[in-house]
Amino acid sequence: MKRSVPVLIVFLVGVLVLATYFIESPGLKQVGSMLNNWGVIITAFAVGLACVNIIRIHAAHIANQRTGWINSAVLLITMFLFIIVGIYSRNNPSNEGAAELFSNLFNYAYSPFSATMYAMIAFYVASASYRAFRMRSVEATLLLAAAILVMLGNAPIAEQLWNQFPVIGSWLLTVINTTGQRGIAIGVAIGGFATSLRILLGFDRGHLGIGD
Amino acid sequence: MIQGTYFVLGTFIVLGVITIGMLLATRSGKVTPKIRRIPALDSIEEAVGRATEMGRPVHFSPGYGEITTSTAPQTFASLDVLGYVVALTARYNTQLIVTCKSPQSFPMIQELVRESYSAAGKPDMFQEDTVRFISEAQFAWAAGVLGIFNREKVAANIMVGYFMAESLLFAEGGAQVGAIQVAGTGNLAQTAFFVAACDYTLIGEELYAGGAYLSQDTSKVGNLAGQDIVKLLTIAFIILGTILATAGSTWLVELSKM
Repeated sequence: MKRSVPVLIVFLVGVLVLATYFIESPGLKQVGSMLNNWGVIITAFAVGLACVNIIRIHAAHIANQRTGWINSAVLLITMFLFIIVGIYSRNNPSNEGAAELFSNLFNYAYSPFSATMYAMIAFYVASASYRAFRMRSVEATLLLAAAILVMLGNAPIAEQLWNQFPVIGSWLLTVINTTGQRGIAIGVAIGGFATSLRILLGFDRGHLGIGD
Repeated sequence: MIQGTYFVLGTFIVLGVITIGMLLATRSGKVTPKIRRIPALDSIEEAVGRATEMGRPVHFSPGYGEITTSTAPQTFASLDVLGYVVALTARYNTQLIVTCKSPQSFPMIQELVRESYSAAGKPDMFQEDTVRFISEAQFAWAAGVLGIFNREKVAANIMVGYFMAESLLFAEGGAQVGAIQVAGTGNLAQTAFFVAACDYTLIGEELYAGGAYLSQDTSKVGNLAGQDIVKLLTIAFIILGTILATAGSTWLVELSKM
C-alpha cells in the first residue's frame, strides 16, 4: 500500500500529461495545466521542507560552535533578511525603500557572488586541462594532440604559419567530435526513455523507499 | 490527434513494447542478458574503501536535475547509485554527506537514505546533516558544496546525475582536497569536464546502467537489454536514412514529419 498508491498516482499523472502531447482536447489540456499547477504548489511545500533542513543544520552548527559556525550564522541571517525584505516589498509595493533594498541585495550581493563562482570555472578549466593532458596514456596523448590542433585551428597566428590548421581543427570538431557526441546523445536519449517508461509503469520502485 | 505527432507516437509504442518486452522476458527468466564491466561503477567500492581507511567522509551529489523535467531520468538513475553508496557506507561505517540542489527531490533522497540505512541495520548512521539541502540557486549550491569539501575534507566524491556548469567546480574542488572521484552525467557538454578532472567517468548511457549493474535486478537488466535492441534499430534507421538521402529520396524525412 505504501508504494502501490504512489505508483498509481505516478502512472495516472504521467499518462495524462503525456496524452496532452498527442491528443488535441481542450478538456485534456485543462487537466494537464491543472496538474502542472499542482506540481508548482507541491514544489513550494518542498522548498519549505528544504528551508527547515537548512535552519536545523546551521542552527545546530551555531549552537555547538562547530568549526566555521560563523558561516552558518551569516547564511541564516542572509536567508531571513532576503525572506523578510522580499515578502515585505511584495506586500507593500508603495514602499519604494523596501523594493530598492531587495533589488540592491539581489544586484549588489547575490549577482556578484554568483558571477564570481562562475568566473572560477576559467581557472579550473586550466588546472583540469593540465592534469588531463599529461601524456600518461595513449588516450591522454590523443586528447592532447586533438586539443592542440583545435586550439591552433582557432588561433589567427597558426593560420599565418600554415593555412591548413583551421581546416584540420574544423574537421576534428565537425566530423570526429560531432560523430562521437551524437552517438553518446542517442544512447543517453534511449536510456532516458527506457528509465522513464520503467518508472511510469511502476517496474522501478526503488525511489519510493523500502517495504510495501 | 495533434498533427505531426503520429510518427512520434508510433516510435514511442514500438520502442516501449521492445524495452518492456525485454524487461518481462528477463524477469521470467526467458533471456539472461549479461552486462559488460563498467570500471567507473566498480570503482565506487574502492572510493568508499579509501574514505574508510582515511577516516574521512564520502560525498554524493545527485546533480542539478529535477524530478519533473526532462532531467528526471538522470536523477532517478543517480538514486540507484545512491542506494548502493548508502549500503557501502553502512557496511564500512563511513560518514556519508549528500548535498541537494533540488527541493523537489530533497525529501525523496532524505527518505531513501534514511530507509537504506535502516535496511542495512544501521539506522543511527542517518543524521540530520547526512542529506543537506544547500540552495536552489546554482552557484550558491556550488559554493556550499565546495565549502563542505574544504571543511570536511571528503575522501571520495561521487557525482552521478544531471550536471551543468558546476560540474567542473565540483570536480576540481574535489581534486584539490585529494578526493577519489567518480562521476557520470548525461549532459554531453559536461562529460568532457568530468573525463578531464575525475578518476572514473560514466559516459553517456552508462549512467542508466548503474542500477542494473550494481543491483543485478532482473527488471533493470532486462530494461538495459531492451535499450540495446532499440539502439540497434536506431543504427539501422540511420543507415537507411543515409542510403535514402544519398539516393535523393526524402521519404524518411516526410515520414518523420507525420
